[in-house]
Amino acid sequence: MMQQAKAFYEKYKVIILIVLVAVLAVLPFVIKKTLYIRYLCNIMMYATLAGSLNAINGYSGQFCLGQAGFFAIGAYTGAALAKNFGISFWPLLIVGGIMAMLVGFVVSLPTLRLSGIYLSIVTLGASEIIRIIAQTWEPVTGGSMGIKQIPYPEFFGLDMFKPQYYYYIFLFLLILFLFVTNRVLKSRVGRAWMSIREDEIASKSLGVETSRYKSTNFMYGAFWAGVIGVAYAPFVNYIEASQFTTDTGFNVLAMVVLGGQGTLAGPILGSVVVTVLTEALRFLESWRYVIYALLIIFMMWVRPQGLMGASNSMLAGGKIKVKEEKKKGGEAK
Amino acid sequence: MKKRVLALTLTFVMAVSALAGCGGDKKSEGGVIKLGGLAPLTGQYSEYGEGFDIGFNKAIDEINEAGGVNGYTFEIEIKDTQSEPVTTSTMATAFAEDEEVMALLGDFSSGACKATAQICDSYGILQLSPTASASDYAAMSKYFFGIMGRQDVEAPFLAKYVLKEYLKAQKIAVIRVDSDWGKSCYDNFIIQAEKEGLDVTVETYATGEKDFSSLITKMQAENPDVLVVMDQGDPVADIFNQADAAGWKIQHVALGPGTSEQVAGRLNDKDNLIVTSPFFFDPDDAELTAWAEWFQEAADFAPTIHPACAYDCVYLIAEAVKNIEGEVTRDSLRDALAELPEYKGVTGSIKFEADGDIKRNYMICGIEGGEWKVLEGFEYGAAGF
Amino acid sequence: MEYILNQLINGICQGSIYALMAIGYSVIVGVVGMVTFTYGEIMMIGAFSSYYIFTGLGNNLPLAIVGAFAGSFIIGSIVYKLCYERFFNAPRHISLLCTIGISMLIKNLAQIVFGPDTKPVLNVIDNTTFTINVFGADLNIRLLQIIVIILVIVFAVALTLFFNKTKWGVMLRAVSQNKDASYLMGINVKRTALLGNCIGCGFGGIAGILLALYYGSVSATMGASYSTKAFAASVLGGLVDIRFSALGGLCIGIIENMGIIFTSATFRDVFAFAFLILILIIRPQGFVSKKGARV
Repeated sequence: MMQQAKAFYEKYKVIILIVLVAVLAVLPFVIKKTLYIRYLCNIMMYATLAGSLNAINGYSGQFCLGQAGFFAIGAYTGAALAKNFGISFWPLLIVGGIMAMLVGFVVSLPTLRLSGIYLSIVTLGASEIIRIIAQTWEPVTGGSMGIKQIPYPEFFGLDMFKPQYYYYIFLFLLILFLFVTNRVLKSRVGRAWMSIREDEIASKSLGVETSRYKSTNFMYGAFWAGVIGVAYAPFVNYIEASQFTTDTGFNVLAMVVLGGQGTLAGPILGSVVVTVLTEALRFLESWRYVIYALLIIFMMWVRPQGLMGASNSMLAGGKIKVKEEKKKGGEAK
Repeated sequence: MKKRVLALTLTFVMAVSALAGCGGDKKSEGGVIKLGGLAPLTGQYSEYGEGFDIGFNKAIDEINEAGGVNGYTFEIEIKDTQSEPVTTSTMATAFAEDEEVMALLGDFSSGACKATAQICDSYGILQLSPTASASDYAAMSKYFFGIMGRQDVEAPFLAKYVLKEYLKAQKIAVIRVDSDWGKSCYDNFIIQAEKEGLDVTVETYATGEKDFSSLITKMQAENPDVLVVMDQGDPVADIFNQADAAGWKIQHVALGPGTSEQVAGRLNDKDNLIVTSPFFFDPDDAELTAWAEWFQEAADFAPTIHPACAYDCVYLIAEAVKNIEGEVTRDSLRDALAELPEYKGVTGSIKFEADGDIKRNYMICGIEGGEWKVLEGFEYGAAGF
Repeated sequence: MEYILNQLINGICQGSIYALMAIGYSVIVGVVGMVTFTYGEIMMIGAFSSYYIFTGLGNNLPLAIVGAFAGSFIIGSIVYKLCYERFFNAPRHISLLCTIGISMLIKNLAQIVFGPDTKPVLNVIDNTTFTINVFGADLNIRLLQIIVIILVIVFAVALTLFFNKTKWGVMLRAVSQNKDASYLMGINVKRTALLGNCIGCGFGGIAGILLALYYGSVSATMGASYSTKAFAASVLGGLVDIRFSALGGLCIGIIENMGIIFTSATFRDVFAFAFLILILIIRPQGFVSKKGARV
């Protein structure tokens, strides 16, 4: 059934994508409840953020735990510049992205010497340091007061305060991200990342400059986290350091892994599942986190490669992969 | 393949059933005024959120049982925000979109309350916070109201009357939480402290900090007369207990917790704490005592000023409705509330200033023999500044 | 001068609690071969076990230590079954995410079961302070601090003896060094790893009770910040080396407390992490002299 669906998708790819975008574009006119549009905005924002993390974890196989830090860099850059210097939102998207990219470059420097869990803890530490700096550097980040009443983007005089309009900013960024990432992944760079993921030593011996590509991979992921951070700040209108804790990072990581690492659609699906669950289960109060935690563990047991992940990827897990292949023989390929 | 289908279906079913659980809008009849409650029912402030829940509902039940106001009855829906600004603004939007909701009650922390300024302005819905006390809160929007009293009265009161006059202290060590609230407290405090010629050393700690031993050692080296803590809830008790454990004998003063039984119950050396409070559950006042006893029963913990303020908020809305001639709309409710004459609530007399908040008078309270006592009444600070 | 030395004492005491955490952590990482993010919640369980013993059975410290060890030991075996046993040959991120999931699960269940408020742990040990005169400077040392440091040393020595002198200890070390070779030598790798994980968790539980004593309170959310501290300390020690992990913990504790002399307390985590990243850039293998880490 899944294979048929896949074949169908491959055949009518362009039409399906156009229809999908069209449906998404008219949604704000169909849905009357602003709250639901806000949720859709959240979903698209987290989808882009999770996608940027996926660009690192899913494609070059480095295990970054500190995406919240890059996200924070973007959000604070955008908010501080817009608030203090009145700089327009649109150029700030690029500025915030580049700032995060530069920090991503600095964080990636130790990756030239470190790997595995050492790399993860450096990213985690960097993310925490960024958060604490945001909490204490009062002249720029507002310190513990945060930055309030961040100016909304201007766009032909529309009242961007309304989620109905802000929706299109997130939609635009998500589509742009998917389009660009798709191109990058098909290029020489993307193939180099994936070769590092599958076998670093082999790709090195085949002439891939692994350290350079690992570094650019980090910068690429950080760039998009920064861009979406800039868009996030006016949307919530108020940022403070506690919005960028390691828990935020873990949450985004959970979206990537639940949806499926190393697939473009995975993080989107992960974002949908996590947002819908945590918002819809709100009436359960504290129990919703218990259910969310159980879902993560359940998924890791049943489908470690995530909802969208291919069962024959190396991300699916050695032992389980062997079992499944044995069961199905050659057919699984 | 099977597992993928299974996992997808299961997630889908969970999501749909979850959605079904919360869907369905209720249409209320003509004579019901719906209020939107914002409260931290979960998370680190959940004990206050629970107090809000009980306080709001108690007042609404009482008003409805008494036959309502001008033919209107009230109902409230409380949404959990954890007092996180982002969640608060999402929930406030949800209420503001629902045209039947006439007013927002909440949230707990000043930071969360401030986050809804844009929403209240553009939807034209009032927000009445029981507890926001930042001095710049109510001025942010014409739809913002607060009844906690302002820090630019309480913090100077602490400097002038508690420290300078009552304790006759000269060298003060302040440990404060690094939050919106804590900063605002300290900024207001230090202005008056400088006027009084007090010698102040300050240290801050991040929200959620547990280890204060190094801070205490640092403060101890300064050799102050009084140790002042500016925070609410558990950290206040933690800091004083750790100071005691370090063998440091010093007068303890706190700004923020009020006459909290919870803080008092957790203190190691109870009889050494002095606080400022705008409100006291006077055992001689039969009405107040009955209220406190009732609350104790409903909540299983003793009330602070916070649930009492929540309770008063509902009554203030009811009073405003009483004064409206003609249709109750969001705008008419806002105007009626702003023009409300002095009202005598559980927490004392309430009269809104031009900004939409109130100025309270403060007492000096302390613990004697495990019980909160008024050390100096309202008249002590009556001379002003 | 007095002030600096007093801060140093704070640092040593806090550092020794971190050291005990790091010891437990590196035992887990060593025998299981995977990192864990559940450790903070394990410590919280230990702290709560002791809290309920203190409130239910009176201030009996030895009993509370046994209780904390047992509580964490049991939770440790559940964590092992859910997060590790199945995923020994799977990519590392799977078990890592499982531990994040369990950590959320335990933390939120604890908030529901134990309540969201902070609970006091007071007067278990008398508030006695000894003032010692060293070269003209008055040093304040609390009885509590002395007991904490002694307990940490006792448990560290006991664990070292266990590892070096008993059959189980030798098996644990073998599994820690090479799982395949241990398997070929006839060691039941899974059972040994289970035991190692539980012992590591038990030490986390004891660290939890020391935290509860030292800070005078327990709460369901207390684990989060200590989990990263333990993680950082054992990374400094090369993740699997017990002695160097302990040293790493001690260093972080001292650096945090000495840092406060110069700046505000809100920066303390910056010192710890900046020190860690610096060490990792200069010496990626941590303090350990040989490249011993396989993780």
